[in-house]
This record gives sequence, C-alpha cells and structure tokens, in this order.
Amino acid sequence: MDPKKSRDSAESARAAQFPDEVLERVLSLLASHKDRSAVSLVSKTWYNAERWSRTRVFIGNCYSVTPEIVARRFPNIRSVTLKGKPRFSDFNLVPQNWGADIQSWLAVFAERYPSLEELRLKRMTVTDESLKFLALKFQNFRALSLMSCDGFSTNGLAAIAARCRNLTELDIQENGIDDNSGDWLSCFPENFVSLEVLNFASLSSDVDFDALERLVSRCNSLKVLRVNRTITLDQLQRLLVRAPRLTELGTGSFLQDLNAHQYSELERAFGGCKNLHTLSGLHDATALYLPVLYLACANLTFLNLNDTALQDEELAKVLVHCPRLQRLWVLDTVGDEGLEAVALNCPLLEELRVFPANPFDEEVNHGVSESGFLAVSYGCRRLRYVLYFCRQMTNAAVATIVQNCPDFTHFRLCIMNPGQPDYVTNEPMDEAFGAVVKTCTKLQRLAVSGLLTDLTFEYIGRYAKNLETLSVAFAGSSDWGMQCVLEGCPKLRKLEIRDCPFGNAALLSGLEKYESMRSLWMSACKVTMNGCEVLARERPRLNVEVMKDEESSDGQAYKVYVYRTVAGPRRDAPPFVFTL
Amino acid sequence: MGRASAKDYSPSSSSSSSSPSSVDCSKHKNRTGASLSFASSMCQFSGCNSGCSSSTRGGRTRRGDLNTDLRLGLSIVSPDAQRDNWIDPSASKQREQRQDWPPIKSLLRTTLAVAGKADTSVSNVHNNNGDRNASLFVKVYMEGIPIGRKLDLLALHDYDDLISTLAHMFTTPIAYPNGDRADHAESLHVLTYEDREGDWMMAGDVPWEMFMTTVKRLKITRSDRC
Repeated sequence: MDPKKSRDSAESARAAQFPDEVLERVLSLLASHKDRSAVSLVSKTWYNAERWSRTRVFIGNCYSVTPEIVARRFPNIRSVTLKGKPRFSDFNLVPQNWGADIQSWLAVFAERYPSLEELRLKRMTVTDESLKFLALKFQNFRALSLMSCDGFSTNGLAAIAARCRNLTELDIQENGIDDNSGDWLSCFPENFVSLEVLNFASLSSDVDFDALERLVSRCNSLKVLRVNRTITLDQLQRLLVRAPRLTELGTGSFLQDLNAHQYSELERAFGGCKNLHTLSGLHDATALYLPVLYLACANLTFLNLNDTALQDEELAKVLVHCPRLQRLWVLDTVGDEGLEAVALNCPLLEELRVFPANPFDEEVNHGVSESGFLAVSYGCRRLRYVLYFCRQMTNAAVATIVQNCPDFTHFRLCIMNPGQPDYVTNEPMDEAFGAVVKTCTKLQRLAVSGLLTDLTFEYIGRYAKNLETLSVAFAGSSDWGMQCVLEGCPKLRKLEIRDCPFGNAALLSGLEKYESMRSLWMSACKVTMNGCEVLARERPRLNVEVMKDEESSDGQAYKVYVYRTVAGPRRDAPPFVFTL
Repeated sequence: MGRASAKDYSPSSSSSSSSPSSVDCSKHKNRTGASLSFASSMCQFSGCNSGCSSSTRGGRTRRGDLNTDLRLGLSIVSPDAQRDNWIDPSASKQREQRQDWPPIKSLLRTTLAVAGKADTSVSNVHNNNGDRNASLFVKVYMEGIPIGRKLDLLALHDYDDLISTLAHMFTTPIAYPNGDRADHAESLHVLTYEDREGDWMMAGDVPWEMFMTTVKRLKITRSDRC
C-alpha cells in the first residue's frame, strides 16, 4: 500500500476519535509564533487546526506576503503585527516614499477581519486617511501601537480618539509625524473610560490639560501613561493622584520652580504609586527634583534616563533607591564614574543602554570609555543586553567583559569613530568580537564597530551559532569576510551591512542562505547591478531591490535590499526602487 | 588618557594594523555630512581637502571643497539632504539634518541635542562638555532681502549671543527687549520669530530655553513695524 495513503487513513482514523475542535482548542493555547509554525508543518489536519485557531499574526517584513494570502490562510485574526522598512531607515538611509504603506493591508482587513482588535506597526507609512479608515471600519478596535512610523499627523490621532469606543491602547513612539496641535486628546468622548495604555511622549504640542486630567480620572484601568514634555511638574502631580495604580510612567518636563508645598505634594503623589515598575521622561531633571521620585523607585525594574543629561553623582543618588533595577538607559554624560555607580548599586541589571549626548563631539574624554563598561561587567553579572556608544575601546577590555558576563544575548557596541583601532595597541578590534562570539554562546544579536578585518567575520562565522541579527558598518577587508558569515551562522535571519568592501562574490556566496533569512541590506558596498541581476535570476523567490540615487554611477548597486517573499515583486515600488 | 588622537584615523599612522581599512575616505565623508555648526568647530577636517578618491563607493567624488564653505560660514544644507531629493518639503526642521552616522534614530538625536544644551545651563564644576556639536538650524531672513541664512541655535548661549551673531551676519545693529538700549538706540531693526503656533513674536520675552523649544524661524524686521 502507498505509504502516504496508509498514513492518511491511519491519521483520519485517529482524527475521528480526536475531533478537530479539540485539536483547535489545544492549539489555541499555543502563543509563540515559532511553536505555531512548527505545529502547522506536522500534517494537514494540524495545519488546518492551527490556522483556524490562530488569532494573532506577526509579519516581520510586510513585503514577504500579501494581505490576501494572510487572510486566506488565517480566517480568525484579531491582532496583527507588521514591520515595514529596513532598520537602516532609522538612520536616514532609506528615502522617503519608499513604501510600506498600511492602507492596502487595511483595505483587505476591513473585508476579512472586521473584528480586528489590535494593530502594531513598526516602520510603516500610515496616513491620516488610513487612521480615519481604521477608526471607521473596525468597531471592535482596541489597541494601536505605532513605532517609528511616519506619514500621519495629529489629525489622524483625533479620528482614533473620537471614534474608537473600545480603545484600550494608544501607543505612539514616533519620529517624523506632523504635530499640528494637541487638540486630538480632547477628542476622546466624555463617556470614554476604557483606556489602559496612553503614550504620547514623542509629540510636541501642548494638549488640553483639563481634558487629559479628566481622561485619566475616568479611565480606572489606566496602567501605562507617558506624557509629553509640555506637561509640567505640578500638572504631573495632579495626574498621579488620579492614577496611583500606574505601572509605567513617562513624565514631562522635570524642570520647574516649585515651592515647598508643591514639592511635598509631588513627593507624596509619587509615594502613592506603589506599582510603578517603569519610569521614563524626566526631561531636564536635575539633582534638585530627582529626590521626589525616590519613594516610587522601590519596585522599579526599568529606568529610562535618555531625556536627561545627568552627571555621575546625580545618577548614583538615584540608583541607590532602585535596588531591583533590571533595565537602565542613560546618556553618556554620566561618564565612567556613573557606570561605576551602576555596578555598585544594580546587581540585578540585565540590560544597559548608553547613548551619546553629543554624537558629533570628538573629545575622547567626554562620554564613556572601556573602563565604564568594564566596571559594569564586574558588578552586574546578569548582564545580557548591552547597547554601548563610546569613543574608545580595547580588545582586552571586551575580552574581560564577556568573561565576566558570558550570558550576553544582545551585544551592540558602537565605537563612534568609524574604523578606529584598539587605542592602546593600535590593533584591529578583531579579538574583541572574537572573544564575544567564542564566550557568549547564547548570542542572538551582534553589532560590530571599530577597525575590523576579515578575521572578525571568520570568528563570527565559526562561533556564533545562535546569531540571528548582525549589523556591520565600515568593516572588513574583502569578500571573504561576508562569505564567512553567510556560510557559517546557521540561524542568521537579518544581515545589515553598510560601507564595507564586500562585492558581488560576497553577495553571491549567500545564494543558499537568503531564503532562510528575513532580509539582507547592503549599502555603500562594492556590489554592482550585474551581481544583483545574477542573484535575482538564480533565486526567483527573493526580491532583489536596488535603490538608485543620482550619486551612484550606472553599474553600481548603491543600496541593495534582498528579502524572501511569496508575494512576488512589489507592485507599489517607487521610481527609485528597481526590482530585478 | 594616552590614546591616539580622535583625528588620527588614517591607518598609515597606526603602524601595527594588519590590513588597511579601505574605508578611511568614507569616514571623511561622514564627517563632512555631519553637523554644520555655525561656530564651525568641525573645520578641523582639513584632511578632507586632499580629495581622496579611493572610496568604497567607487566613482563618488569627494566633497573636499565643502570645508572652505564651512569656514566662510555660508549656510549649506548637509550634503545628504541635498542629494536626497525625495525630502518632503513640509518636513520639520529636525528632519532637515539628515545624518546617517552614528546610528541613532533622528528623534533621539534631536532630544539629545536639547538635553545636551540643558546640561550647559546647569552650572556644575564637573561639566567639561563645553563643546556642543549637535545642531538646531533655523532660517533667518532680513526684511527686504529675499535670500535667507541659516543659524545653529545650539551653538549659541543666550539672547545676547544670538543678537550679536545676527548683527554680525547681517551687518546691522538689532534691538530686542531687555537688550542694552544704549548700544542699540539707533538700530532700525528688531528680531522677531515665528513660534510653533505660527504667530510672529518679538524675540527676548521668554527664557532662552523656552525660546529654543518654540522657535521655528527668525526674521529681522524694521523697528517701525513693531
């Protein structure tokens, strides 16, 4: 008997005893996308049960699939997460009007998922018309999260506020939107009470404070509130007394002349927030007013100090009150001394991000150096996520750091001067990243910098067995480097490269690899149109897109974006994007 | 700290590097693409004038002559912005500074610029960050002259600094409220600005920090208009 037939009949015999509804019920308990993908490959029955029971879908590249294909496979989706532009668009490497417009998706969803509840978008273009469409067509809509999106204005937000009766979440983390006025916030109806998450920290206009205060008062389930910089300290106090159950707070300006009474009222308001685990904002905070926070810091696990240029002593005083801190984001104004205070006070720290206050300042004794990072590695052994902008680093320091903290999953080191060697030995930084990949076996994400030869990439290819995302800039010596990575890292999903001497041979060495990856970005490298054409010809299931601008000469492929797709070439590509 | 100078990034001067980085010219490129502070402390990149052509971006010409323009203080939009002709003309002034290195998101870059500036106004003996190379450019027009200039507000400390810079730029004395009336008694011009709400206001009434967060553009108008 044909083995397949016997398998099927055995399976249907089993299925008769095990109804689809039960299977669906069981599978509906699966949350992880990876688990669900695995489950759907077991058999046709399981594939069907999984697709009927799936309510949340995550699409890491909006051009890898069409909304029609998604809707055909998954009939019951309530929550959609979509990511659009390549990550380097954050750094202005992708021209405007590149694409990733949500409208074509919304049009299909309006028909196929009228009960859609959640939309989470990252690096997509969203127009005001789309927001109005969303507010109009989806009666059950609850949660909108827009991260690094563009194309809309506060008018679109007004439509959402006015019409979405069941809204629980409005989370706007943006750059590049038009902030016409703060009136959108006044558009929430007076009988609207369901809000749980409100984040408008990145908008700049004044909002009607009375409307905000009333909104906060009547939304008893509000857990997350991030206001913008126009909200003053005394206004903050009034909000806090109305929302003592907040778990996440982003304050406005922390710079205001308060009298003694106002100060103690504010302190008391913070003291009433017993459930706070995340704090951000604190614009222009100084040593004078930071102490009002201390009573609220006992359970703090995430402190985001990106908007305030603290010095080392000020930071130290705050950290003493945050014994449970797991995640800390700071500006490098705290210096190495500030990081020593982190090492002393935050034994539970798992994530540290240090951003440059003055990215173009070349003075090397400004900001942080290898000694700050070293200090943290001695004091915070649980460190697993680091993003570190510095002006000098040594191979020896990095080797010691990873010895102290071998559990890194995300290691993103940015030595800000491109191609800078180890400042003590003047050697390339190859051994530093070699140490990282050899020691940190759980490493998922790596960003390299400094003067690097192909040796760094040999190490990465050979040792980084769990690496999924790699970011490379101004590094490498020849095609061999990129080839090592493409032939080595089995779990590689995203590779983004800029300003490296990698050419066609390097590009084509990944022929066997790209269909198992989400995407490849290469800009300002040595790839030519010919190389891209070969790739496109050999791999029809990839989209090979080249962006041209007037700087690049004819044969050169200045910006290349390659990604796997079941959707075929883009139909909305702008004139400067060529799909080969 | 005994490290090689930050400017010393050409591999030939670091003797023990095993293979030369082929990207040193790209580094130069990114410097000229970086913030064009009016105070022009970035003009130390005299090395760029050698017009190196062995760039990784084969065939791309070096903009070595840009540095001369910087020294003359001419207003030049950053090269990336110029060549990127898909810029939405209604873009906010933060987006006009198109930078692509170091890899920090644009919004964070602007926030850092203002945070860094706030730091200067807090007097602190440990603060040696006197050099602010982040920028906040606004357009400046003088009434009657159709071609405007651009000015980096973050390179200035206060209203006095602003007025004297503008007076120098346009070679005319300018008056403003609370300014030194004796010096500017004869001036025909006053400084006005357009705020976020689109209204034209006389410069000098609100604190400098507040002014910086609300100003969109400047205009030097005749004093008989105010």
